[in-house]
Amino acid sequence: MKKKVKKTIVTGDVLAKEFKEHSVAEFFKKNRQMLGLYGKVRTLTTVVHEYVTNSLDACEEAGILPEIEIKLDELGPEYYQITIKDNGPGLTKDTVGKALGQLLAGTKFHRLMQMRGQQGIGASGCTMLSQMTTGKAIKVISGTGKGKAFACEISIDPKKNEPQIYNMRDLDRKFRGLMIQAKFKGVLYRESAMGPLEYLRRTAIANPHAKIIFRSPKGEKIIFNRTTTYIPKPPKPMKPHPAGVTVDDVITMAHHTKAQKVSSFLKNDFERIGDTAIAQIQKLVSFDLNKDPRKLTWSEAEQIVNAFKKIKFIAPSADGLRPIGEARIRKSLESIVQPEYVYTLTRPPKVYAGGYPFQVEIGIAYGGKAGITTENNQAKEDENQGVKVEIMRFANRAPLLFDAGNCAITKAVHSIDWKRYGIRDLENVPLTIFVNFISVHVPYTGAGKQAIADEDEIMEELRLALMMCARKTARYISAKRAEIEKKMKRDMFYKYIPEVAEALSKITKKDKNKLIKKLEWLVLNKLKLEKPEEKKVKRLKPKQKGE
Amino acid sequence: MAKKGKKKVVKRVSSKASIRKKELEGPKEIAERIKKIAMEMVKEIEHGKNPRFKTKLRGRGNVVFDEDLGIITLGDKSATRTFLNIAHARKFLQTTLVMSKTYEYLTHNKTASIREVYYELKHTIGNTKENTFEDQRESDACIVDLEHSIDTIREKLNVHANPKGTLYGDITLVDRQHHNDTFNCLKLGRGGWSIMSRMEPHEIEIKKINAKYVLVIETSAMYERLVEEDFARKNKAILVGTGGQAARGTRRLIHRLHFEHKLPVYVFTDGDPYGWYIYSVIKQGSMALAAHSSLLACPTAKYIGMTLEDVEEYGLQNVTEKMKPTDIKRAKEMLAYEWFKNKPWQNELKKAMQLKIRIEQQALANKSLEFVAKEYLPKKIKNKEFLP
Repeated sequence: MKKKVKKTIVTGDVLAKEFKEHSVAEFFKKNRQMLGLYGKVRTLTTVVHEYVTNSLDACEEAGILPEIEIKLDELGPEYYQITIKDNGPGLTKDTVGKALGQLLAGTKFHRLMQMRGQQGIGASGCTMLSQMTTGKAIKVISGTGKGKAFACEISIDPKKNEPQIYNMRDLDRKFRGLMIQAKFKGVLYRESAMGPLEYLRRTAIANPHAKIIFRSPKGEKIIFNRTTTYIPKPPKPMKPHPAGVTVDDVITMAHHTKAQKVSSFLKNDFERIGDTAIAQIQKLVSFDLNKDPRKLTWSEAEQIVNAFKKIKFIAPSADGLRPIGEARIRKSLESIVQPEYVYTLTRPPKVYAGGYPFQVEIGIAYGGKAGITTENNQAKEDENQGVKVEIMRFANRAPLLFDAGNCAITKAVHSIDWKRYGIRDLENVPLTIFVNFISVHVPYTGAGKQAIADEDEIMEELRLALMMCARKTARYISAKRAEIEKKMKRDMFYKYIPEVAEALSKITKKDKNKLIKKLEWLVLNKLKLEKPEEKKVKRLKPKQKGE
Repeated sequence: MAKKGKKKVVKRVSSKASIRKKELEGPKEIAERIKKIAMEMVKEIEHGKNPRFKTKLRGRGNVVFDEDLGIITLGDKSATRTFLNIAHARKFLQTTLVMSKTYEYLTHNKTASIREVYYELKHTIGNTKENTFEDQRESDACIVDLEHSIDTIREKLNVHANPKGTLYGDITLVDRQHHNDTFNCLKLGRGGWSIMSRMEPHEIEIKKINAKYVLVIETSAMYERLVEEDFARKNKAILVGTGGQAARGTRRLIHRLHFEHKLPVYVFTDGDPYGWYIYSVIKQGSMALAAHSSLLACPTAKYIGMTLEDVEEYGLQNVTEKMKPTDIKRAKEMLAYEWFKNKPWQNELKKAMQLKIRIEQQALANKSLEFVAKEYLPKKIKNKEFLP
């Protein structure tokens, strides 16, 4: 969380300077990689992500059950139009420009709470991208549900980083929500694991309260229905915990604080710092803590951070964490993945790197339509042919589609000895593993923000949670396997019975059908196998008594 | 053919009387025995019991040498195969198929080769991709099981393997299954009569014999030599060419010539481990077919040559050959066999191993082509110079 704050603010500062010398567009181009806008497929997915995330967050804050419709149209080669419509609180004429036509203007960037949209560029970034690749402004219709809705077109003045609004007009109807239409070139739609459809599918799983409708460029309509009407409470903003801040964070916060003294700044703006801690810190630093925080120097801030490291603080509160919940994940997986078996687990919060609270949620879906279909059809067990494990990674409910190999979740999954849990080969198993990593500060490995760093505490917690789920799943698998083996056994005997009966009846002239029935009875009763179907059972039983 | 192993001597498992009875069993009796087994199975099924099929264990552990009868035979260990056993079910099914098919042959007066049995029974099971038999080895194994279960030979099941071996001499046979053709094996030209796989009395009847003994010859070349020299006529001998290891039909014929017509049997092979073993199989039976020795073996057969004494007596040293390491190893094994544990054979084997030489039948041509027919064999037979 703290790092987050730092990064945003510093970036903002740098940006402000840069705006004077370079255009926003130039900055944008230079930083495309960092913003997740590289790769034709990935760029389109990122755009979808930005809009959907905005809608979900807006609905959540307004306490609305979200219904989001996304439509993609192919306008030409590598040329697409996205239309997204939600039922959220909408934007007003005053806010629409800042929200969609000014980079880094969102209020979210400065808050310390669990958020979906930590990566990427925001909706304004999409406006910028549209403008850069097609020269076109985005079209917007918005309404708050009260009064008339309005429509307009928005672009960004790249020199000033200011919104340019055209064609503002009232519409003759009421509407609550936001509808945006934007065009992009140099992007590509694919129905791959990294494409928009998969992104939406996973978003739907992690947001069971949302209804998501997708119209693909192929003209298909895919609906992900909501499985709960519970709207997650908006996460609470949180103060940083001393164990998780950097010198830069302290300086930045000190310069923005309302407190008059460093001591009160520390007590008010950080979590878990009280008078005892202040007294301890005072002993460890060479300056007076009554100093004005705005005058705090780098080296003084450094002393404070060093002091933080020497003092034991109570672990941060996990109040800011908003898990989805076991029951809701279960319902969601049942509805969207459609497996035979689901086990879900929401672990209690833990702390990593001394100060960051986090929480892990796992869902294991087995059998049915779980897993990913593969080209490879050489599975040993016919039941699992052509299906391999699917790992769905989420950070604060937002799907992570890229950079799987570097992610702690992927590493944790592969570090587990699945054979112990009745899963012989992850490459051949109908298994979907859902992992939601929740934290006010997700430790991403890179600027792309698609992989979670494998911090020791995180790996340990992930492994533990996965193993707990695997144990439960193993029970189901072994019971199922026993069932299959029984069936195979019975089928094998049943297959041979007519042959044996015929051979024996040829020699002895005994009735073949009678022999068949008696042999079937023998197989079921002596081997304690179930009958293949109800009817046969009924027919057999009386005869058995008659003997 | 089983090639190694030492045999223990145990109590006798079959008597001469019971062997005689077995000998004469025809298709009817055999068919009845199959039916009896099938009826047992049906009864078990009807009583809600797991149907069973019992057969003799054929592993080395159950092969014994019966000193009284002078034959290799099977002990009384048996194995039971049941249907309701995941590991047996398929085998059980196959066995019932073979039972049903051989029963049909026997009751309809048909005969078939084991390969034909395989093809007749091979089909897809129900709506599956599984075949009743995947290859001939599977059906062959079931035939062997059935032979052992009802204690008879496959020839009596009207089933047979490939024939081999020729018969030449003043012997009149009647083919009971084929127009009652009657022929004398001295009148069939130099090729003689091809011995059939099934040499059962109800198929081939030995009508008349005008001979003093039977001479069994290992190599085709020597057999042809003796025919050309008119050895059979001049010596009143029946010639049986085995062409290597004797086939079942040939062994059955030798057995019958001895037991039905009391003819002495002399075996003439190369003087090497392979030749010695051919002799021992004719005389005592083989380990692989231990159960059938009572119908196939000829315990009173004598070994006429080649011997190492021949080498000395006729000065054949320069036409001997060196024994290969495998020959020596084989000879060493044979030294340990129960049925070679008599002085003359122990001496012969030890001597061969010591000199590391072997001698072929054809080596006698070193003296002259006619030598074997005019001097070697008549002299040995007259002086009874045999190995036991």
